[in-house]
Amino acid sequence: MTTASDPIIIARDLHKKYGDITAVNGISFEVHRGEVFGMLGPNGAGKTTTVEILEGMRDADSGDAIINGINVKDDPPAVKAMIGVQLQQNAFFDKLKLSEIVDLYAKLYLAKVDPVEILSRVGLDNRKNAQYAELSGGQKQRLSIAVALVNDPVVLFLDEPTTGLDPQARRQLWELVRTIQKSGATIMLTTHYMEEAEELCDRIAVVENGEIIALDTPDALIDQLLETGFIPKKRVREATLDDVFLNLTGHDLRD
Amino acid sequence: MSIYLALTVASLKMYFRNKQALFWALFFPLLIMIIFGMMNFDKYDSPNVGIYDAADNPASQALIQALKGSNQQELLSVAVDTLEEAHHELEFGTSRAVIEIPANYGAPGEFAEIKVTYDERFQQERAVISTILGQVTDAVFKELNQVPDEYRVENSIGITETVITGQGQGFKAWLIPGVAAMAIMQTGLFTVVFTLVRFKSQGVLRRLKATPIGASHFLAGQLTTKAIVVVLQTYVLVIVGAIVLGVSIGNGRIGAWLDLTILALLGGALFIAIGLAVSGWAKNEETAAPIANIISMPMMFLSGVFFPLSVMPDWLTRWSQYLPLTYLADAMRAITVEGASITTLGSELLGLSIWIVISFVVATKMFRWE
Repeated sequence: MTTASDPIIIARDLHKKYGDITAVNGISFEVHRGEVFGMLGPNGAGKTTTVEILEGMRDADSGDAIINGINVKDDPPAVKAMIGVQLQQNAFFDKLKLSEIVDLYAKLYLAKVDPVEILSRVGLDNRKNAQYAELSGGQKQRLSIAVALVNDPVVLFLDEPTTGLDPQARRQLWELVRTIQKSGATIMLTTHYMEEAEELCDRIAVVENGEIIALDTPDALIDQLLETGFIPKKRVREATLDDVFLNLTGHDLRD
Repeated sequence: MSIYLALTVASLKMYFRNKQALFWALFFPLLIMIIFGMMNFDKYDSPNVGIYDAADNPASQALIQALKGSNQQELLSVAVDTLEEAHHELEFGTSRAVIEIPANYGAPGEFAEIKVTYDERFQQERAVISTILGQVTDAVFKELNQVPDEYRVENSIGITETVITGQGQGFKAWLIPGVAAMAIMQTGLFTVVFTLVRFKSQGVLRRLKATPIGASHFLAGQLTTKAIVVVLQTYVLVIVGAIVLGVSIGNGRIGAWLDLTILALLGGALFIAIGLAVSGWAKNEETAAPIANIISMPMMFLSGVFFPLSVMPDWLTRWSQYLPLTYLADAMRAITVEGASITTLGSELLGLSIWIVISFVVATKMFRWE
């Protein structure tokens, strides 16, 4: 019997080296069903390698990655079949229409879906006949999320989903992530935008040099910091520069 | 199976929507074929001649050398061959005459009779060859024997002439299978190299790796697509070439089309495998393109696509006869020009098969998702 608090992702003492460089150095955590779990850290901290081990894209040197009860190293195709993946660098076939790309990927999972319905979930149904190269950065990210949804995944991995997007597109993507969470999927995302983590994540793990140095809810982490007597350099104002920008340029997406 | 089908259908769609690839696959080879065909190299002023040298002594070699002419002025385009091969080439229009030098040529005091066979359809070449042969034997004889002018050459060298009606349809018919073979090479090699390397460098392959499918699914889909393209391309080139240049294919034998299909598939498999090996090795388009060119360019000129191998120096043809494209072009030519059946092309099929095996072994060792 599974309950809402059952961990759907278990990372147990993962290690990965590339030559002399240690990318992941003993990372362990659990993600619960229905949770949005964020991994934060500077570039090169080991976020992507950790996620790729969980996705079955890379083999760990040691440790276990367990998704929905299956150890990834035992059966990568079985794990790949039940997860949805948005890679950091996404690319799809050119010369295919978006609806054809979604349809093709659905068939790779032997899933029967209506490509236009999937596209409408990410707000791209009006561009179903466009080709990948014609899309804006935000649209490309949304397409890659659409493709990650074709197999109705139990876990959705998003690796830096908003890197390189303008504030409008970023906010729209956040909205999309929340909608997907409401539909019952578990989401694990990496980001180096703190605001994004605070906005989306139920819990976050902060990664540095291949190790988790903090893991808790965003509020708890902030509280812990304040308990140490930390005083922000700048008095917190009611609005941010992001808000100013969005107020000036509008919330509508520029496609 | 349905995964494989989905990948094949998708990559076929991608291929036929790529106007540039279509241009290189169809219009470019057709253009070459028609331009070269129209130029009509049959009117070339040093006719191809096959020589069978039964004597093979200094005297006969001097004669052959004299028939070739000097560097400044080539008289005849000479290929020394077996008797059978020389007659074969005359029969199917690659050469215009067979000159047989008898075993006793140059032996003191003996009467040597040189036999010449012409294709009666080419009277102009016949006159040229006959004149050159007469003058050259005359001059060579005098030089060899240091005899005074009044001794006529007929005293010890005779020339008998025979005439056949060849089946060859000239350079145009010869060109079509060559260009079709070249097009198979280009499509197999370049479409594979460019699509795969682009997919790899863009990360398309990496994204596929995140799905449950294996590399074999994807590669099988790619192979099938390119094989379909190669066969269709061969049909189009041969049919349009035959209509525009006015030649018949396989001497009207219907089975020729089946044989051509088999050869197109074999040739396609061969060059696709070479393409896979190159794209496995190369990291991006910048490194892949030169490699693909280094492989294809020499073959374009050394495999007898545009000109018979016999016009090239012997030291070169000794090597170029083993090139993959030479086997393919020779086999396709035997079928379209000579009306041969694929079952008679053992050595070409063996050559192709060996190259296919080598290429696939290298390709599987080289392939990488990212």
